[in-house]
Amino acid sequence: MSGKVSERLNRLLVMVPYLARADGADVKVLCREFGLTEPELMQDLDTLRMCGVPDYTPADLMDYWIEGGRVHVMMADYFARPLNMTRPEVLSLFVAGSALLRSGVFAENGALDSALSKIERMLSEETKEELEKVISHIEVEMRAYEGNMREIIDEGLEKGMNLELDYWTFSRDEMTSREVEPLSLVCSQGYWYLLGWCHLSDDYRLFRLDRIARVRLTDNPCQERVRESFDVPRVVGEYKPGRKAHQVRLTFEGKQGRRIVEQWPAAQVTEKGDGTISVELRTRNLAWLATYLLRFGGQVKIEGPKELRKMVAKNADELLEAYS
Amino acid sequence: MDKIERLINLTACLLETKRPLDFAELSDTVYRGLSRSQNSLKRMFERDKDELREMGIEVETVESEWGDETGYMIPRDRYYMPHIDLEPDEKVALTMVSRLFLGSGTPFSVPAQLALLKLAFERQAAGEEVPHVHWVETPRDSELLGDILDALVRRKLLAFSYRSLGSDEAVAREVEPYGLFNKSGAWYFVGQCHLRDEVRCFKLERITSDVEVNPKNPKTPDFEVPAGFDIHDEIDWERPAGGKADVKAKVVFKPRLSFAAATGPARLLAEKRRADGRLEATYEVADPEQFVEWALGFGTDAVITSPAALKEMAKDRLRGILEGLGGS
Repeated sequence: MSGKVSERLNRLLVMVPYLARADGADVKVLCREFGLTEPELMQDLDTLRMCGVPDYTPADLMDYWIEGGRVHVMMADYFARPLNMTRPEVLSLFVAGSALLRSGVFAENGALDSALSKIERMLSEETKEELEKVISHIEVEMRAYEGNMREIIDEGLEKGMNLELDYWTFSRDEMTSREVEPLSLVCSQGYWYLLGWCHLSDDYRLFRLDRIARVRLTDNPCQERVRESFDVPRVVGEYKPGRKAHQVRLTFEGKQGRRIVEQWPAAQVTEKGDGTISVELRTRNLAWLATYLLRFGGQVKIEGPKELRKMVAKNADELLEAYS
Repeated sequence: MDKIERLINLTACLLETKRPLDFAELSDTVYRGLSRSQNSLKRMFERDKDELREMGIEVETVESEWGDETGYMIPRDRYYMPHIDLEPDEKVALTMVSRLFLGSGTPFSVPAQLALLKLAFERQAAGEEVPHVHWVETPRDSELLGDILDALVRRKLLAFSYRSLGSDEAVAREVEPYGLFNKSGAWYFVGQCHLRDEVRCFKLERITSDVEVNPKNPKTPDFEVPAGFDIHDEIDWERPAGGKADVKAKVVFKPRLSFAAATGPARLLAEKRRADGRLEATYEVADPEQFVEWALGFGTDAVITSPAALKEMAKDRLRGILEGLGGS
């Protein structure tokens, strides 16, 4: 987040007011909140040292000092409060806000609606008009966040209380019960997940909401240690299949192939001249794929591995039996 | 002196002054020491003003009483983040919203975080103890997405090469971007394509070049979005339009998976527990294909028992996949 001049300028005009407070601001917190490394922060601070008001004598320039891990700035009364919100900032709040309203995370006409309209009221007529045009043309689609378990999950997240889940692990096709410290709701590829510290596996886990069979609020508070130290992108990143994963090769025909490409952004896709699409992907577990592929019928050809071909054949045979 | 320093100094100077400053005064202070002609300094000042305005910092021009002098200042009431009186639950809501895209690399991530910091300065945002909601889809190319958003906001033409699905070669396109959306984790934008002369949908991953946002006349839009344009019509291109929910279907679930009955892509009408513990669920189905595919996803744990047409569809798929396996 170092970037263009206008981005740096905007950032500094938000940062200086924090530094100019009587007790300054913590270096580590600053880096985290502003998405900067310490050298990048130092570069920003050194820029400030060159700035001030006429006559630009040392007494007119903003100077900083660091004491006990906190940054302080003097002589910046004119920057004692942050710059008003820029258009991209308002736009981003509204895009995120309307995605969460449409998916039902927030109720219509509730706290989010009223908060956003308070922000809208402070905008100039011209800005409001411009933004309205753009906002209605941007949509981030998320599946509806709903279901009767939602209230319990929300309560666990809000109060920081552990949840007990009965969860169906799609990839292993098994149902297990476990205690989970709820950390965050996560939306990925349109689906909702609960991210939590799982006491059964003693690790972070993602639980897809529509695969939770039952949820109960426990009396056990989340442990602070776990709550503090998580970082969503990092945790989610760990879910990439490792080296032990199977290499799967599939060929799809026509329209189905197109849909597969949309659904598996991680897959390697090659479009062939004859209208077929070849897909290569890695997965740690073949069982889920052997069931998942059934829906594609004659439009998928399983090139390998052999193990997967056998599993799919067995599944299809058994299910045909159940249908007859 | 770096440009960023000059812009900070100009902002500070015009914000602090109690009376409008004319250009002579500015060239003696903010622009002092720059070895340039007076004309070239004046042009630099005009560009700086434009840049500040782009960021939302309004430099006000004040004519003197006799109109012979022009002064400049930044009105404080418009510069500073105003106080917004938020209720505690509104603070929580805004904090959650501003963190939705945090760290996801979309063009919304950084601005939303800065907005929160502006709100938080007067304790107008909630602290750490707020439920987290996160969007974790990282676009493959953040810069590309940023450029498209920029063109969309300023209504500027986009030029790029695009390889459509099913074609071997990338073709140069010129598009008026009307809308942007994300579906199942992938980004698309919709706009009037000059090559095809109609509204088309473009997937970001199929863009094979950088996108060029028309650099000419940056302050004037290149086009207007037609009044009838609705992004939602474009998002649903995949599904057959106007599917009526007129098929009633029954699915029997094994006991351990009966919770899944409520997750289907159709309206659940009734649930009945059978004597053997299995659950029979009745649905009103609008999209039979999608419904059959969903049911097949549970393997032998879910079986469609009626109507015959849907059962046949399921069996067709199963026979099809077996044929493919036998034939190679």
